[in-house]
Amino acid sequence: MVEQSKQTSGLGGFVGTSVKRVEDRRLLTGTGQFVADVLPKDCLHAAFLRSPYPHANIVRIDTAAARAHKGVVTVVTGAELEQITNPFLPFSMLPDLYTPLYYGLSSERVRMVGDPVAIVVAVSRAVAEDALELIEVDYEALPPVASIEQALRPTSEPIWPKAKGNLLYDHTDSFGEVADVFAKADHVFTETFTCPRQSNQPMETRGTLVEVDPVTGEVTVRSATQSPHMLRWMMAAFTERQGPIKSLRRFLGDSERRSGFAAGAKAFVGEKGDALKDGDNAGMIHQIKTDPAMLRHLGRTLMGVTGKDRYVTVVADDIGGGFGAKGSVAREDIVVGAVAMAIGRSVTWIEDRVENLTDGGQAREEEMTLSIAADADGTVRGLKVDLTIDQGAYPGVPIGAAMISRMMQVMQPGSYRFEAFEQRSRIVATNKGKYVPYRGPWANETWARERMMNIVARRLGISQTEIRRKNMYGDEHYPAAMLTGPTLDVTMSVRKTLDRAIELADIEGFEAARATAAANGRHLGIGFASYHEAAPGPPNYWDCINPGTSALLDQPARATIGADGKVKIWTSQMPHGQSHQTTYAQIAADQLGVGIDDIELIYGNTAKTPFELAGTGGSRGGPVGGGAVRKAGRSLRKELIDFSANLLEANPDDITIADGVIHVAGVPAKGLTFAEVAAKAVQHDPSRGDLAFDVNETYLSAGDGGWSVATHVCWVEVDLETGFVSIPRYLVVEDCGPIINPAIVDGQVRGGVAQGIGAVLYEKSAYDEDANLQATTYMDYLIPTATEIPVIEVEHIETLSPGENDFRGVGEGGMLGAPAALTNAIDDALASRGVFITEQYLPPYRILELAGVIDPD
Amino acid sequence: MTDSTSQGVRVAIGGSTQIRCVVNGEAVIIETEVRRSLSDVIRQELGLTGTHLGCEHGVCGACTVLLDGEPVRSCLMLGVQADGTEITTIEGLADGDIYHPVQQAMHDSHGFQCAFCAPGFLMTTVALLERNPHPSEEEIRNELSGNLCRCTGYQSIIDGVTQAVVLIDAADNAITNATEAGNG
Repeated sequence: MVEQSKQTSGLGGFVGTSVKRVEDRRLLTGTGQFVADVLPKDCLHAAFLRSPYPHANIVRIDTAAARAHKGVVTVVTGAELEQITNPFLPFSMLPDLYTPLYYGLSSERVRMVGDPVAIVVAVSRAVAEDALELIEVDYEALPPVASIEQALRPTSEPIWPKAKGNLLYDHTDSFGEVADVFAKADHVFTETFTCPRQSNQPMETRGTLVEVDPVTGEVTVRSATQSPHMLRWMMAAFTERQGPIKSLRRFLGDSERRSGFAAGAKAFVGEKGDALKDGDNAGMIHQIKTDPAMLRHLGRTLMGVTGKDRYVTVVADDIGGGFGAKGSVAREDIVVGAVAMAIGRSVTWIEDRVENLTDGGQAREEEMTLSIAADADGTVRGLKVDLTIDQGAYPGVPIGAAMISRMMQVMQPGSYRFEAFEQRSRIVATNKGKYVPYRGPWANETWARERMMNIVARRLGISQTEIRRKNMYGDEHYPAAMLTGPTLDVTMSVRKTLDRAIELADIEGFEAARATAAANGRHLGIGFASYHEAAPGPPNYWDCINPGTSALLDQPARATIGADGKVKIWTSQMPHGQSHQTTYAQIAADQLGVGIDDIELIYGNTAKTPFELAGTGGSRGGPVGGGAVRKAGRSLRKELIDFSANLLEANPDDITIADGVIHVAGVPAKGLTFAEVAAKAVQHDPSRGDLAFDVNETYLSAGDGGWSVATHVCWVEVDLETGFVSIPRYLVVEDCGPIINPAIVDGQVRGGVAQGIGAVLYEKSAYDEDANLQATTYMDYLIPTATEIPVIEVEHIETLSPGENDFRGVGEGGMLGAPAALTNAIDDALASRGVFITEQYLPPYRILELAGVIDPD
Repeated sequence: MTDSTSQGVRVAIGGSTQIRCVVNGEAVIIETEVRRSLSDVIRQELGLTGTHLGCEHGVCGACTVLLDGEPVRSCLMLGVQADGTEITTIEGLADGDIYHPVQQAMHDSHGFQCAFCAPGFLMTTVALLERNPHPSEEEIRNELSGNLCRCTGYQSIIDGVTQAVVLIDAADNAITNATEAGNG
């Protein structure tokens, strides 16, 4: 059994095949390098003291005994941290939004169970944890805010006093003649939906190692982060706290720094000027008015960044999943960074699972009231939504509830031809874990809308497939645009997936089986759900979310051939399970006529990779990251061929590359290897140095793109003795355009569906009425296992995009469709009992309550 | 052993001992704190970081190693309890550059994505196929239900186990045939 990852056909054609993973050699032999696997000599270990109270004032904190404990190097409290760091500053500055200022540690008030109040740095994690027990904190409990309902009460204790209440955002947008459409429709149906608080729960917790070089003082941050460049800039911004005068003096007194900054600013504004002008300043002005301290901190942070000597380098190697949670910059990252720099020693912090369930990011707790105006024939005409997001104690940075409310709004009308739409979005603060993006962060709009479509269908006496077919966009409608703005083209092929799903589902066969089962007292159901998602979306998508955003999302890639002939692809994407090393090698190898193993992917090091803030997330790795790699590969091929044309004394148009040999078509024997051409190139122009060829390309966020779409079908059997739901069959028909690697795409789809099943049947970040987290271990937060997740059939349609780049994203889709298809199926199984499912979390006891088998409470 | 007394709480911060075991075929003597978990001993004292810690409370299974051939959660044992045993970790599976059949099968099947959970699944599968060389799909799912994966939805891992059965059978047949040919 010899290793056979040596895949070197060299004839192209890798894209579209299930090339085996390049990553596997290290990951299957235990030689990968995750952040917890790196431990420099004499590295210190950090542990955080966390609040046991959901909401309390800190009256007194005494760290003397902990400091005196043997093996403890330092203890830092919130008040001390405020002397050496800047507060987290708002990232999504929407008008009407209150964004709080807060630091890595809390000093005066704690706002959630698990809120970090002090850090201990010691010779080992165990000693650090011993010392935590020696810190005395006197808390004065405040009334907790545990739910959306409590937060909306004017009498609830304000978690952020400057916000004047716990409602932090309240904004309504209307599209079309809403009142008119609702007045004229035959029926208006209204339901209120609730979605449980969930948690991303990657198998690897968060972790950050701040390495301080004892000689040079240079700082390298190793972190399980989805966005190394984002972490680098935030680390620079939040850990630089010299006075503004000092910063300004250093900035003005250093011509190199000045010119470097000016050049950077000019390049950025020059490229993005138009997009930035569209940006809305109202949000920032509103926030500064609400809290004038914001201006002082903003100034200090900006001056700190510009006056800083050197930024840290962020390095990320293997990462054990993220699902959005590791795209957030953690408060703990800033604390560990600032403390390590202050003491000049390397410090590592590896989160444990209890911390991760408490403070590693939670998501999706939303309440939504949907009204659909529909005609008797099943035509849906108007949609009104009242959304409230429970942000918890702290906003996710850089993407939190505010940005996610915008995504939910833009996608809320879904694939249906509504004539009018209105959405009210509210965000409340509660004393619960911070709300972060989780795989398809807007997913609950899909869930609530697809549930509502089924409810309307049932009320009108038509089938769930009929109401979808009747109202969906199809090719005959294009070009078109969603009511909320994004344009629709042939890549929005959702109706094709629905039609194919109906073919494969054998609904007649199912109905026969259902009738037989019913005769035996068994309850079967089938549920459909359809959606389109911006992966990456049309050119105007991000500016419909928030003007100016797309300017931040352009994706660079660099392709080089070294003087030795070796090909490297450099990306700002940060793989954490998506197999970028394999898929980008497929794309680049096809462009360059070499084998998979001839491509080396450079990622995860801000000193090497091209600058871009977003990193990996948002299903962007395939379309945007892969699109950039294809562009760079294509340009590199052109340079290589143009240069080789002289050497081969041939017309570039006659030259091809195959099996790593550049030659005149049909004459491979007289070809040149990459190493030979590279050597000539360096000889010809010594200024090329180590790189014979070096090209940089950018895939524009607002370039071409398109939609990914899918229809999910779920079959269930509900056991009304136990309340258990089993899933005998699950089908996904999806269209993400041409597929780079089918096995990897199927894996992404199935993984997303598994998380969606977990959301409905198993997972809940449950809090009690006093905002105490009840699910702090995997005994209470239930991740589905191999016995809960069924076989998931995946069927592909590959619609080509009219744009230059065909690849479309697939990372989030599974999670978007599954909760809706599954709850629609359960609803269908219980329909004969008059049940209408309006909640997403359906553990066995709840199934039995809804079915009337047991009484609530 | 150094104890310090503070606020009436006695905190042991020293207390080391020596344990002897065979790790991936090699006899080792380890000096370790008594309170250290087996997983910490494996990762930190032995530097075998292929064994991962996902939950440290015995649910996720990422830290599974073989102790005298049986799969155990190394986060739930103390290092001192492994004294005198034979331990196999993920690093002990491959033979140089040649994958163990279970590793090869997982590679062939695109078994994992982030693969943080892989050490646990691999060790559990090796133990399963030792005991039951031809498990049904239901048996595979039941046996692996003590290991959590957040990326794959499990299907590719189940496919990997099925493929491992095929590879191991093929290797066994090859050996049998070679032996018979030799005898004939």
